[in-house]
Amino acid sequence: MKKSLQGLLTLLLVLVVQIGFAQEKTVTGTVLDEDGLPLPGVNVIEQGTSNGTQTDFDGNYSISVAPGDVLVFSYVGFQQQTITVGSSNVYNVSLLVDAAALDEVVVTGYVTQKKSDITGSLVEVSEEKLTEYAAASVDQALQGNVAGLAVSASSGTPGSVANIRIRGISSITAGNEPLYVIDGVPVNNGNASASAATSSISALAAIDQSTIESITVLKDASATAQYGARGANGVILITTKGGKYGTTRFNFTSQVGFQNDAIEQPTPLTNAQRIVLASEAYVNDGFFATEAEAEDFLVNNSALFAQWDQAGRPESNWQQVLRNPDALFQQYSLSASGGGEDNRFFASIGYLEQEATVIGSSFERISGSLNFSKDFSPSLKFSSNNTASYSFQDAFLELSAYFDSPRTATYFMNPLRQPYNEDGTPAEIGGALPNPLISTRDNFNENRFTRIISGNSLDWEIGGGFSAGAKFNVDLQLYNYRTYTNRNYGYGVPTSGDASQYDRTNAFYVFQNYLNYDFEINADHRFDVKVLQEYQASRSYFLGGAGNNFADDGLFYLASAGTPTSVTSSFSDWYMGAYLGLLQYSAFDSRYVLNLSYRKEGNSRFAADNRWGDFYSVGAAWNLHKENFLADAGAIDYLKLRGSYGVTGNANIGLNNYQSLFTYGVDYNGEGAQAVSTFGNNDLSWEINKTFDVGLEFGFFQNALTGSIAYFNRDSEDLLLDVPLSQTTGFATQTQNIGELNNQGFEFQLTANIIDTEDVGLSIGGNLATVENEVTKLPLDPNGIERTITTTITRIETGHPVREYYMPTWAGVNPETGNDEWYVNGVDGETTTNFNDAEAVFQGGNSIPTITAGMNLNFNFKGFFINAQGYYAGGHKIYEGWHLYLHQTNGFPILAYNGYQSLLDRWQEPGDVARHSKFTSAGQPWQRHSKYLYDADFLRLRTVTVGYDLPSTAMEQIGMTSARIYVRGNNLATWVKDDNLLYDPEQDLGGETGLETPPTKAVLVGVNLTF
Amino acid sequence: MKKIIYKGLIMAISVGAISSCTTEDLDPTLAQNKSVEQSVNNVGNLFSILKGVHSLMSESGYYGQDVIITNEVRSDNTFSIGNSGRYTTESQYLYNNNTDLIWNNAYEVIANANIIINANLENLEGDVDYGAHVQGQATAIRALAHFDLLREYGQQHTGSGNLGVPIVTEYKGDNLFPARNTIEEVKAAIYSDLEMAYSMMDSQYDDSKVYISKLGVKALESRVAVYFGDWTRARDAAEIVVNSGEYSVISADSYVDSWQGDGGVNVIFELAASQVDNAGINGLAYMYQINADGSGYGDVVARPEVLGIYEDSDVRLGILDTSGDWIRNTGKYPDNVNFTNNIPLIRFEEVVLNYAEALMETGGDALTQLNKLPANRGASLYAAATKDNILLERRRELIFEGFRFDDQLRTGMTMEAVGTDGMIMETIDYPSYLFAWPIPLSEMNANSNMVQNDGY
Repeated sequence: MKKSLQGLLTLLLVLVVQIGFAQEKTVTGTVLDEDGLPLPGVNVIEQGTSNGTQTDFDGNYSISVAPGDVLVFSYVGFQQQTITVGSSNVYNVSLLVDAAALDEVVVTGYVTQKKSDITGSLVEVSEEKLTEYAAASVDQALQGNVAGLAVSASSGTPGSVANIRIRGISSITAGNEPLYVIDGVPVNNGNASASAATSSISALAAIDQSTIESITVLKDASATAQYGARGANGVILITTKGGKYGTTRFNFTSQVGFQNDAIEQPTPLTNAQRIVLASEAYVNDGFFATEAEAEDFLVNNSALFAQWDQAGRPESNWQQVLRNPDALFQQYSLSASGGGEDNRFFASIGYLEQEATVIGSSFERISGSLNFSKDFSPSLKFSSNNTASYSFQDAFLELSAYFDSPRTATYFMNPLRQPYNEDGTPAEIGGALPNPLISTRDNFNENRFTRIISGNSLDWEIGGGFSAGAKFNVDLQLYNYRTYTNRNYGYGVPTSGDASQYDRTNAFYVFQNYLNYDFEINADHRFDVKVLQEYQASRSYFLGGAGNNFADDGLFYLASAGTPTSVTSSFSDWYMGAYLGLLQYSAFDSRYVLNLSYRKEGNSRFAADNRWGDFYSVGAAWNLHKENFLADAGAIDYLKLRGSYGVTGNANIGLNNYQSLFTYGVDYNGEGAQAVSTFGNNDLSWEINKTFDVGLEFGFFQNALTGSIAYFNRDSEDLLLDVPLSQTTGFATQTQNIGELNNQGFEFQLTANIIDTEDVGLSIGGNLATVENEVTKLPLDPNGIERTITTTITRIETGHPVREYYMPTWAGVNPETGNDEWYVNGVDGETTTNFNDAEAVFQGGNSIPTITAGMNLNFNFKGFFINAQGYYAGGHKIYEGWHLYLHQTNGFPILAYNGYQSLLDRWQEPGDVARHSKFTSAGQPWQRHSKYLYDADFLRLRTVTVGYDLPSTAMEQIGMTSARIYVRGNNLATWVKDDNLLYDPEQDLGGETGLETPPTKAVLVGVNLTF
Repeated sequence: MKKIIYKGLIMAISVGAISSCTTEDLDPTLAQNKSVEQSVNNVGNLFSILKGVHSLMSESGYYGQDVIITNEVRSDNTFSIGNSGRYTTESQYLYNNNTDLIWNNAYEVIANANIIINANLENLEGDVDYGAHVQGQATAIRALAHFDLLREYGQQHTGSGNLGVPIVTEYKGDNLFPARNTIEEVKAAIYSDLEMAYSMMDSQYDDSKVYISKLGVKALESRVAVYFGDWTRARDAAEIVVNSGEYSVISADSYVDSWQGDGGVNVIFELAASQVDNAGINGLAYMYQINADGSGYGDVVARPEVLGIYEDSDVRLGILDTSGDWIRNTGKYPDNVNFTNNIPLIRFEEVVLNYAEALMETGGDALTQLNKLPANRGASLYAAATKDNILLERRRELIFEGFRFDDQLRTGMTMEAVGTDGMIMETIDYPSYLFAWPIPLSEMNANSNMVQNDGY
């Protein structure tokens, strides 16, 4: 680290060495564009020196030079012009638009590139698209906009983490999350929560979308190899807004609306239904001859049924009670941007509030940002991007079936218990599940998250094609987690109230230094060489404690706890160092392009001998439309063939896995103790991804029809795999570099601008991506037997996708006996009622979609506009969680908890063809089988926006620049393939439905004002 | 132009001079952990690992809950009403190979014990004699873990097969894919470990009941020998404990209260629990009880017939709560708020009963020993020390502590699967494959040398 600082100093010293040159006279002039309008902010530099200036608002400049010196006039989007100073003191210049520069410039990582010079596969998503989906974190807006990128929110609770998979999954044990880069600096954006039980909180949710200019998603190795060992899962580049030269411009946006569950959730049984089913079960079990007798027994002998009967058999409708209908969403942002002759700024403040669709959960964020850049001299530029935010999440226990959670209670609560007392106050009911109306009111479970990111860079245009720079970025994340369980009712009563509080401080530092050299060899061969050094340090400090026994209500800080019960603190860190070399070569006006990258990277997760890895990529592109033989083909505006191959890595495993370790986190009899915690593996090294990618990009008929086709093949080798160990070793797994898997697929993107006139515009577009995933190698044991990894519902085995569903196959309910049956061989033929006799088999497909597609439509007519976007995911499956208790014909739904109304379709007498078997009052063991495995294909109308842009003439009269009003819908309609699937198919990638808040649909009204 | 190239060169050199973050710069900090290879340096470290071993034993996956409850709900003492959905599978004999049960926990205990046992005392700093004592304690714990594995997974009650469990004596040893040893081999290894432990330990270091003591080793040996019907060994081992004068049967007056406190006169070895270190809601109390405010999982309740095994005057009725819909154990592991009760693993009463049974089988004076219990429980004395009486007294005394299942199996009783409503779903004749747990699927998948028990 010290060395990096020394490096920075060296760099600064070199800058100081700069010296001035002799000045002979002052030259002035005006710079205009082709239409004769003044161009402000044009760089005017004496060639080969750092002497330079910029034009002012009126396009005027003034500079001291000697006769014979050469002045270079440059401005983004215009051809560069040079003038040799002669005897005159005034030189007016007219700059021509650079046709080549009209090529879109895209941020591609450590560099920006013209579209035609890009050899990799990447997609840029504009600000407009990013704001179309109302959510606390911006990643959700990527769904459907990037071919091959699948987003799945882990929960509908606002602020929760979303899982993103780019081109399938490359690893079994190591992470599959892409790398996030904000303004050129890799950052950590995962789950910040300290609890594995309560709602997750995404570090990305700390960033206000309205400060984001664009997001670029890098998919292939040519694009991602520059990020070396972290590029394997793709890279998401976030570019924040900067200021522009000119008068200060204000922008105000607001979006207000309400949200509900995106699809109707399963309906719980009513009490009237439950007593019928319970009586039937008793008869089926042979306890009673008739259902009337059984019912009689229940209302006389079961305490709860008796109470309910005496009270006149009321319904309780917990689902309605625990729902938060029309949950509020509101978002406001105000920004100002502008710039003077040598500075530019963008400043914003934002506020977002979002409620969940269940009671007792919400998210709130207040944020501010300031991006400022100052040109110390025309060749030395400083910029500083700063953002800070504070988020508050009213979280709840949702990551399992916690009895205290309102989502759990919706289905698990025995409806014989009533939510309210007669006077309308929440009832202090008994039983295992406390009344969530009381616990959400009197208990809390809160995440507070403060994030400050400051990125500072210095860029020096040395001249002669050389440039250099340094970057320093701090990402400080302060996290606080508090819980309190009240002393009057529920779980906190025995201990007179429980409270805990945890704090985590994460600090990430990134240093970058680079040197760039552009040069040309006789104008036909352009080279751009970059060398870069990067160092990242991540440190995390955790402190917390818990206590119970509070003397009074309203106390929940640990100082008031009568009995401290635990205290903990810990520290962890990791480091990464890298050297990067990039070469871009383009020949004959970008007709041929070659990009090379090489990165050497070291990571603290591996033993010293295996710490460094080498990653590289080769990419080439052929811009056919620039060839003479196509120059006359009028219909073809753009045609590029590109291909790339590269090696990237993945080191996303737990810290210190390579060492065999004792943990001291155990204690016994009040004394510290130790026990082995990691098996260790000194040979641990990088997981390697080898990606081949080829694509064709095109634009036809004045670019009315644009699109691309791509194919990729990604081999992941030396997988960082938690290899199952014989547990006789004392360990379940050891992380090893073993195993291989492959992902391949096609991606298509097409946009048609059907009408494009001043008054009317219509374009439709879409993207489609396929990905096929297969495990190709797994470790063998000494007998040569493959060590598969099997859970109750999935198996990892060669020849199959990762975690393909694997379980016995349900053969239906026998119409004669009413019993569930399974196929003995797992496929067909003989059936059995003994679950343990049924063989588990692969069920085809895992939880990752094999086909994803996005469709969009944009229409505008004289200021009115409609934008719509749809998303389809298919080819994957989803398993229903908790069915033993909620969705089986046993005693749990009718006697202990509650179940879904779909259970009414059950066998009652011989000859019945029913989905569910005959009811029994007994409990059942967990038996997971294909009845509860569903096709997860769905189609969703992600966004529809209908709006109106007020005419600019009208706006100017009231002193404004532009105004837009709109009504927006998110997830308004959903089609689900499998009718038996009761839950929303858009689930987290764990592959099993849970009791988290479901995805939401929203209706919002918004206003954008610029003045 | 030269100027520029010159400056470019300076820049190139300066970037180069930002010389490497070297490999050492990327060393991670070990704040909470230490490397296994470098941190066993003194006898104190051995004791620290021994505490870790005890901590692992007290986890809910082992003695904190699982091994005691799974055996209780399969016996005729208790069953699961599924109040929180827990232990119904075991109570109804419906288990399959998806649950790990104690397999991983017991082998974790063995792995850590092996680090202690195989440490070379000569290379360690500190009191070497004490080091030998700690190694003896670890050896005894290793025997207990192997015994627990054998009685849960071994084929001794399945009617066919002679397979036990793998004997593991090395941490990260050469054979990471062990096959199952036979029942006889495992039994021999257990006896050998217990003898070794007894010879290495020195009772001057036995100053706490939350660690296994030298006499505790003999008590354990008597338990193992009773299980296998090695009566002479059982008698000899129990005799040493019974005649040691170190322990006594708790008196009638103190019986119920003794469960409230720790380290009573009858306790030989117990696992420590405290307000800040306990299995919490995943412990024993939470599984047996429901508090007045409704908290508690309370899945496991006594079968109604349990009331009938006690005379009205028997103080042991005091541990039962019959006020609710079900009969509950509220007396053993009573603290269902702070969960502070230590978990007794070896009580003197059990050793007395082991002794009585061994004497009965070998023709000694069993009745005197047997009657030590009713005499201290407000119950009538037995007229004869028959097998039935001994088993009855064991049931009365050791109920809810996880003994009854083994007692039923070793005497070949028919078992009953009980539904959540208390109705008998099925009777299971002895022997049956259901009397051995399945080897966990994860083990089968990881180790092809492993042989699954029949029926799974």
